[in-house]
Amino acid sequence: MRTDGRKASELREISIVYERLDRVDGSARFGFGETKSLASVSGPIEVRANLELPSQATLDIHIRPLASISGTDSKALSATLKGILSPALLLSHHPRTLVQIVGQALCGTDSGSGMGSVGRGWSANLIASLVNASSAALISASSVPMRGIVCAVAVGRLPSESALKLVLDPSEAEMPRLSGGGCFAFLFSVVLSSASSSTQEVPPCSLLWTNYTTNTPFDEAELKRARELAEGGAREVWKILKESISTMDASHASTIQKTRAEPEAMEEVPSHAEDSDDAKMEI
Amino acid sequence: MMAESGPSTSAVSTSKAEQDALRAATFQRLHPKVYLERFLAENLRPDGRELDDWREVSVNVGSISSADGSALVRMGDTTVVCGVKAEIAEPELDSPEEGFLVPNLDLPAICHPRFKPGPPTEEAQVLSDRLNEVLITSGAISTKSLCIEPGRAVWVLYVDATCINYDGNAFDATLLAMMAALKNTRLPKATFESETGRTVCSRKTKIPLQVNRLPVSMSFGIFDSTHVLADPTSFEEPLLDTTLSIAVDENGGLVSVTQLGLGVVGKEDVLPHCISAARKRCSGVIGLLANIS
Repeated sequence: MRTDGRKASELREISIVYERLDRVDGSARFGFGETKSLASVSGPIEVRANLELPSQATLDIHIRPLASISGTDSKALSATLKGILSPALLLSHHPRTLVQIVGQALCGTDSGSGMGSVGRGWSANLIASLVNASSAALISASSVPMRGIVCAVAVGRLPSESALKLVLDPSEAEMPRLSGGGCFAFLFSVVLSSASSSTQEVPPCSLLWTNYTTNTPFDEAELKRARELAEGGAREVWKILKESISTMDASHASTIQKTRAEPEAMEEVPSHAEDSDDAKMEI
Repeated sequence: MMAESGPSTSAVSTSKAEQDALRAATFQRLHPKVYLERFLAENLRPDGRELDDWREVSVNVGSISSADGSALVRMGDTTVVCGVKAEIAEPELDSPEEGFLVPNLDLPAICHPRFKPGPPTEEAQVLSDRLNEVLITSGAISTKSLCIEPGRAVWVLYVDATCINYDGNAFDATLLAMMAALKNTRLPKATFESETGRTVCSRKTKIPLQVNRLPVSMSFGIFDSTHVLADPTSFEEPLLDTTLSIAVDENGGLVSVTQLGLGVVGKEDVLPHCISAARKRCSGVIGLLANIS
């Protein structure tokens, strides 16, 4: 039983807000419960000569923690996010331009992951919220052609005497007790082969990034279970992202909050009627 | 490129071989991807290895006498030197019994032309962060064993690695160098005197550092979604779409798995195949570490 009463494969309440910041092409805030990030996308825009690439757009990513300046871990996360988004974006469509993505953590990054060195930086669930915020911001910008949507979730491993317990989307309170875990990012795209089990509504997905690490040994079976658990969670994130598109064109920022208790009902908070002509977008 | 008419036939044939070598080197520079594809079509790599072959590894410890522990690792041509220096510091308020482990990798201009002098490049920072992640999370060194006096004095271990020749796969070589240096580390016996509030270290008595786990990493790359290459060189690395790193401990248990990029070749997921290849390889490499005292 988890501290907040969730089942092992249950996500926290997801919140997606399309910020509609004026100075960038697209922006979105994504949160798993209290673990939130904000991402903004500008592009394709003018590129500095030293970053220019002749056959594709340059992807430039900046990550900022909530407090203090970006350190080595934020730099490493920018490089990772670049590796994650490059296969998902069709950068060759806009050569000699720049796609700039800025990610901002909206909750503390020294959440005391409880495993070793102080101020560990970005925890797995914060990284997952950042990847999802970037995907939502890219959709909101609609200016960079995409091969697919990347959705990420974190998986934690609780030490227990009897059997191994893997939990989806560990909360901040659960983080210090974990004996391992990591973030899994999946690319959802219709161009991928349907080898993995895909339903009618969700396109096939493939694992794009993981950093699963533990402090006691694990085996392939555990990795497989962690991945399957994460894949289920990522599908849920994809579905919620798709539903949130309908609120994107509202003339002001609106929130979509999906509570796990009512999977069928959707809570929206718009004050005027939304434009219905291109409310649904083909992903 | 004019054929030089030398005085004897052997001089002419040597220069023909040189010309071929020059043509091959030019082709490699201008069309690296096609160059690699041509080799892979014959199931070989440019350095003559099979696709799943690893380069030869050698480990040398204790060469730096001024450091508390040191190691030099060669993985093919990639050479990494690592030194461990211990200092004493006050612990954090909320973890009074935990010491600190500070790993860092430097990729200076000497090791490869693409690294320019100046502040650490992004690649060095990314590798340092990944090494930190594996070393700290795996529990290779228990930070509690670095405690001298709870709340007052703990050891800080600065594990500094420098690459002196970069030929790809710096992550594996550096993790091995760091583990070898840590195994080689001997800390002076330290006692905390509460009257003076200072820590006194013995000049004579040295205690070996207690290493709980020996994580060793094996990295792979996927080229063009068709071939899996083990232990990529610096020529192959920029051409890979996906990199996978699998860290295994001395009992064959997995420590960490990282994948960046789509891990599918044909219709198959290659991660399980890489994990079993890593397991087979690890016992050889860990054997090198086990002999270190």
